Formats: sequence, structure tokens, C-alpha cells
Amino acid sequence: MEEVRIGVYVCWCGNNIAKMVDVEDVSREMETLPNVVISRDYKYMCSDPGQDLIISDVKKHKLNRVVVAACSPRIHELTFRKALENAGLNPYMFQMANIREHVSWVHRSRENATKKAKSLVAAAINRIQWHEALNKRSVEIDPATLIVGGGISGISAALEIADSGKQVYLVEKTSQLGGYAAQIDLISPFMYNAAQLINPKIEHVYIHPNIKVFLNTQIEEISGYIGNFETKITNSENQSIELKFGNIILAIGLSTFNPSKIQNYKYGIIPDVVTSLELEQVLKSGKILTNDGNVPQNIAIIHCVGSRNSNYHEYCSRLCCKNALKYSNLVRSAIPDANIFEIYADMRAMGNGCEELYSATSLKNVMFLMFDQKNGLPEVREASSKDNCKMLIEFDEKLSGERIEVPADLVILMVAKEAHKEAKKLAQTVGISMCGNQFFIERHPKLDPVATTTDGIYVVGSCQAPKDIPDSVAQARAAAARILGTINKGSVEVEVTTAKVNEDTCCGCQTCISVCPYTAISFDEEKQVSVVNEVLCKGCGTCGSACPTGAIRSQHFTDRQILSQIKGLLDKSFELQEG
Amino acid sequence: MDFEPTIVSFLCNWCSYTGADLAGTSRMKYAHNIRIIRVMCSGRIDPIFVLESFKDGADGVLICGCHPGDCHYHEGNYKCLRRYHLLKKYIAQMGIDPGRLHLEWISASEGKQFAELADSFTETVRGLGPCHVKEIIENFA
Ligand code: FES
Repeated sequence: MEEVRIGVYVCWCGNNIAKMVDVEDVSREMETLPNVVISRDYKYMCSDPGQDLIISDVKKHKLNRVVVAACSPRIHELTFRKALENAGLNPYMFQMANIREHVSWVHRSRENATKKAKSLVAAAINRIQWHEALNKRSVEIDPATLIVGGGISGISAALEIADSGKQVYLVEKTSQLGGYAAQIDLISPFMYNAAQLINPKIEHVYIHPNIKVFLNTQIEEISGYIGNFETKITNSENQSIELKFGNIILAIGLSTFNPSKIQNYKYGIIPDVVTSLELEQVLKSGKILTNDGNVPQNIAIIHCVGSRNSNYHEYCSRLCCKNALKYSNLVRSAIPDANIFEIYADMRAMGNGCEELYSATSLKNVMFLMFDQKNGLPEVREASSKDNCKMLIEFDEKLSGERIEVPADLVILMVAKEAHKEAKKLAQTVGISMCGNQFFIERHPKLDPVATTTDGIYVVGSCQAPKDIPDSVAQARAAAARILGTINKGSVEVEVTTAKVNEDTCCGCQTCISVCPYTAISFDEEKQVSVVNEVLCKGCGTCGSACPTGAIRSQHFTDRQILSQIKGLLDKSFELQEG
Repeated sequence: MDFEPTIVSFLCNWCSYTGADLAGTSRMKYAHNIRIIRVMCSGRIDPIFVLESFKDGADGVLICGCHPGDCHYHEGNYKCLRRYHLLKKYIAQMGIDPGRLHLEWISASEGKQFAELADSFTETVRGLGPCHVKEIIENFA
């Protein structure tokens, strides 16, 4: 093995570290440790002069490893790896000790903070002895994209990508495109006609030379990895077709809550209790009528059916309040003298124009009555012949504190939006995660709401969380832009800190295969050893901790590296004093 | 003099390490006894790491990973949990109080929980006194 020559750099971070940690003392003491050729402290290691210091030392002192004690590696690890590359070193010959977030900012005693800093840096020095150079790998990107789901999200993404001249395969489970948006009449709050908005888009998709639409088609299996996925689909003529593509967009939309689960509402028992989606069909027909063909005089709209209730879905479905307000407005113009009741738990009409719609609705002689989810839900029952209405809805009205009865001839249930029934199956097919409510999880809830933790797979629209049309379209186009970016680049870099098998010590027990979450390990029957597909491996290291012979190594997190780090951390000379 | 325990902590990169970073950015103060090692996933925490920590002189070992269902690699934390329960039994057999090993789920937003955990676990280990495994092994050797 080549001689190990380590450079250690202790950052002051202005005063952020230096105030609580005696950085000069740390630096001095580190210089006495084995293989440390040079140790320095400097005001701002991440600054250009700080990085230049490393680069010139690497050259001057023939350093082959660099330890920086500074902030969290989550912030500057990449910065310093780049600096190492500039100095002609492999970027993985680097280790950071976090003495800011984990030391100077969280402790009170300078003496102990300094000791702890020393032990963290010593651990990094110990660890880095065993670092190995790892080489960047990239894979080529197949320029085609698979989009699963032909609703407004899938359509928007498809057009965005296809218009840039790239191939799209759009797979839709039902017999038509348009999804949820195609089922509704007018779109709240600005009352655009949904059909007028979406039909031209659908037409455009069908005739687009770069989009191939597969209706009545389901995805059974997807194999591969970013840049190189493939699937077999069966089309309506029962032909099996093989598709290859580099990226995937999941846009399967949502399902709605089945309100017969809440017995209070008598859905499925009294025919004039309908869901919001069923009402859309009524509205499309142009006439609001009861089941027996009469014009209803009393219309009640019940909110939060299955939403914001821990017995059903704890979350807010986000779209219902503004739709409920839409119904009040549409009923008011269709039946000017009707009594309209909005029976709500909380009014959450958010987004552009929605609060305005709420204010406008409240001026239209609509009764807003509040119920308390925790205090029992409204109870719908058939009225008696002397009641002059078809149904009565009884509940504790929260604002007045009284138990009241509301007459109704038509009850509209604002049903919760829930994850698509096929979401779980699809998540398992493609290998992405779902949240507890079975919506797909994005890579980062704040900073990366489009990608998933599996490279090359994106989630858009309501399969990630209930969304309205503008939000769905925005997310769809964002995913399209991301994909076009990688296609234009032609290739992407993939994880290099993958697992690696030592064929000599692998005993062929296949334990690693059973624990791998990515099916990245297969078994070579001939050699009787495990083989890692480096492109599929994400470097979690689970196989490394399960392997009984130590034959499988998590690169950059090897047993040896971590065990040395532990030893350095527990070095007696940095033991703490009574604080 | 009061006994100052040394505690080795293994934190997964995606949730718990980020949570500990957040405790720092929020300037929350906690016991200096906690020394953190970053692993990509709690599933990477080989039982050997825990045993060697005790052998090298740790008085306590703390493991933190993402909450169930949140693991960046789907299910590494479940594997970690299984190993943890076995390890607890195993170290007890070796004469190490199982209370010296602790696992807790810390999300990226739970800086406060991490700081509180650091304090409470430090107190637990302080109450258990020094772990003598290292000396015993050294005396045998
Ligand atoms: S990544 Fe946090 S436990 Fe797996």
C-alpha cells in the first residue's frame, strides 16, 4: 500500500466554531497523530482561499488524503470533494468531521467542546487511512419516457416532452384520456368549462407524432434503472409490446372515498344522497333533479366526508371546500329560490380566487352551518310525510351550540380524495415508497417535490397528494423539464458508493439477496457467489451488515472504515472532563 | 468527580443525522457526551459496530434512524430494529446492561427531540456508571 499522507484542516467558521472550540489546539494536537503530514486551522475553509490552501498543500506535501473539520458534510462535503479533484486527488480520499452543528453550536463548555472536537477529528483521521479511490460512473439515457396515467397531469407532461421532440409512451388504464378533469363540469373557482379546457389537449395528444397512447393498458412489471428501463405491456388486441425508456412519470391520479362507510349519511340507502362526483354528472346533464325527477327545494352539501377524521382519513383533501362553494353557486343560479345549506367542519377554501368565492357565496343566501367532527357526524334520515321535504339532517351546530335539523331533498357528499386503488401495486412494481395514506412519496417534501428516491422515476399530480388542476399541471411540467434536462445531457452520474462482493470469501448463502431493497444483487449459479448490479445498488449498506463472512462491502462505508472511526472516537486522550 | 460517559451514536444520513444538524442550526444545547458517526442508513449498522464500540470503551451506544415507513431505502430501519432487539439480548449475555444500548427514530425535523434524547440517554448511561468491558478484555489479554 502507498504511504498514507494526510492533511488536516480545522475551520474556524468565523467565530461559529472558534468561539466554542479551541481550533488552534485541535489543529496542533492532530499534527501529532500517525500519518498526519500537515495540520492547519483557517478562518473559512470553504472559501476560495481555504480551498486553495488544500490544493497547494496536496501538491507541495504530496498529500493523498484530506480531513476537514468544519460544518456538516451535508453542507460542504461536495465543495471539498471538488477541491480534491482540482488538486488531482480522488474525491473519495476525503473525510469531514462535523465540529459545528454537532459540537460548537450545541455545547456550553469550551473545554469539553474542544475535547469532543478532537475526538471527532481523530476518528476522521483514523477512518481515512482506509479510504479507497472510487470512480465516477455514468449511464446513458434512453430518450423515451413512459408516462403512466392519462389525466391532466400525464397529458401535460406528455405534451411538454413530446413538443421538445422526444418520444413519449402514455399508458392509460381506462378507455379514454382526461382522468378526473374529464368527469367534471365546471372548474372552481373561476368556473372554466372542463371539457373545453381538456378536450383540445386530448386531441393534441392523439395526433402528436411523438406520443404513443396505449388505452386499456396496465403496467405489470418494470425492470431496469434510470436511463434504461423496460416493460412489457399488453394492448387491447392482446398483443404484447416491449417498450424501452429512460425515465418514468407516474400520474395515476386518485380515487374517491366510498361514503357508504359512514352509515350516518345513508349513501346507497337513500337515492337522493349523492357524491360530489355523481353531482358533476347531473350538472353536465344540465338539470338538477331529484331521483324521482322533481326540482329539489332544499339542497344540503356536507363537507369532509371521510376527510380530517381520524376514523377515515386524517388529512384534508384540499379540493372539496372550493368545490362545495361551486355547487352552492351553481344551484343558486339553477334554482333561485332553493334553500342551500353548506354543512361544514372548517372552511378551507385555499388558493387563488377561493376565499373570494367564499365571500361571494355567503352573499347569495346560502346557510353555512358548522359541525364538529369530534362531536358526532350529521345524521341523515328519511323525513316523514308531514315534513314537507324528503330528508332531515340532524346535528349539533357548533356556532350556535344548538342541536338542529335541516331539511333536504338532495344531499351532496363532499367525498374525500384518497390514494388511487392501484397505487400500492404500482409502487411495488416500480420500487418507490408511499406515505401512510398510500400516496407516493416525493424525494424531498420541500426541496424536491417531483422526483422520487428512485432515480429516473417522477411523481406528478394527485397520486402524490390531492391537488387541483393548476398544481398538477405545474408539477407535471416540472417533471417533464427535469427529464428533458437529463435527456439533453445524454447521461447521468450514478451512485458510486455501492456494495461490492469479494468472490473469494462469498460463501453463497444469499443472505444479502434477501435483504436488498432494490433487488440489486443476483446469484451467479456457476460461480456460486452473489453479484451486485452497481447501477441498481443505492449504497444503503444493509447487505454489508447482514453478510456473515464480510464478503460484501459497502464502499466508502466499509467495516474497516467505520470500525477505525469508532476507535478514533474513543481514543482515551480525548476523554471528557466533568462539565 | 462525576462520571462523564462516552456515548457512540450511529445516525442515518437522511433523517437522523439531518435532525442532529438541525439541533445545531437551532443552537439547542445538549450533553457533550454524544459522539456521532454517520452511516447512510440505520440498516448499515452492523452488530459488530455496536459490540466494538463497547469493546473500545463506549459507555453507551445510541442508534437513530428514520421513522418506520420513512427510510430512504424503504426498509433499512426495520432491519435495524430486528438487529437491535437481538443485540439487546446478546449484550445482556455478555454482561453489558442492555440499557446501555438505545434505539430511537429521529426525523429530519426533530432537532429538539434529538437534543432531548441526547440528554436523557446521557443521564441513563451516567446512572449505569462506567462500562468496564474494555478493562476486562484488556486484563484478560
Ligand atoms: S435511511 Fe434512515 S433509516 Fe434508512
